[in-house]
Amino acid sequence: MKFRDLLPYLGLLVLALAVGVLAGYLTFNSRHQPPPRTDALLLHDPKPLPDFTLADTSGKTLDKDRLKGRWNLLYFGYTHCPDACPTTLASLDKFIRLLGKLPADKRPQVYFISVDPQRDDDKLLGDYALYFNPGFVAATGSLDALKALTEPLDVQFSYDKPDAKGDYAVNHSTAVILVDPEADETALFVPPLDPRRMAADYVNILKYYGEPI
Amino acid sequence: MRRLLFLAALLFAASAWGDGPTVRAGHVWIREAPPGVKVLAGYFTLENLTDKPLSLISVSSPDFDSAMLHQSVVKDGVESMLPVDTLPIPAGASVELKPGGFHVMLAQPKKNLFAGDLVTLFLKFSDQSELTLLAPVRRDEPGR
Repeated sequence: MKFRDLLPYLGLLVLALAVGVLAGYLTFNSRHQPPPRTDALLLHDPKPLPDFTLADTSGKTLDKDRLKGRWNLLYFGYTHCPDACPTTLASLDKFIRLLGKLPADKRPQVYFISVDPQRDDDKLLGDYALYFNPGFVAATGSLDALKALTEPLDVQFSYDKPDAKGDYAVNHSTAVILVDPEADETALFVPPLDPRRMAADYVNILKYYGEPI
Repeated sequence: MRRLLFLAALLFAASAWGDGPTVRAGHVWIREAPPGVKVLAGYFTLENLTDKPLSLISVSSPDFDSAMLHQSVVKDGVESMLPVDTLPIPAGASVELKPGGFHVMLAQPKKNLFAGDLVTLFLKFSDQSELTLLAPVRRDEPGR
């Protein structure tokens, strides 16, 4: 066989190699590009949320299914919280407004989850969340229902001893948890929150996960 | 609002400079509480104008049932509020009460307070000097 007879085969081989390399590159690039540099703590692998059932302040169920199909932020706190909670919620409001140019379904839904169900009734809790942003949703549940969500997420809360008037402070985790549209925990934003950096991190994280934005 | 702040500044200056100032306060504000919430936090900076260490030993307010010096502390990602007995201000230095750190916890306001209202705070220091602050209620931190 002469070299000339082999040429078409060689051509095919080169083409096949090129296609293979290109496919490999594309796959590598989308699956294994280095994670973005963020202030947020990006989980190496997204971690599925546990099954849980809470209720929002209008009585609608808040569970895993409700989180699916959209990016979400979960923040745990309580309304009798003078310093940490209002500071975080005011920052989250600014963060959401900085994302104003994104289509509404690409902006995260913020959930404020009260870990003080004894004092935070629906009226107080609902008004509280709306005060910071009309789009925020507040929810809570029994201690058992809360722990079904918080324990697997490593979110902690405990109650200080009540004072003479029965007032007490609640110790609680400060992190704001980013949950992806598959209801997987994806990243943690840890206070002090800088709304601008948060917004940049959020966009970079969505791009990293191939979200067209 | 601007006029009120000016008045506040004047009153503050009068009280601070009355018998020789030892501490100067600035950046005074109180975060407005959402509806129905009866605990607020007050923030300010204190500058020790002397060459001796001083401490803030008490805070009170006629506009609230109680006022307490607190510190938000984050340990292993969990936030707690700790009572603070006295807040040291080293000679010639400043301390900052700010969100996520030292703050005055103000509970049970005598009337509903809204952004633009002024709250009176009485501060007492270890050298027995006193300061009266008129703190504006604000929706958010000045400059943010």
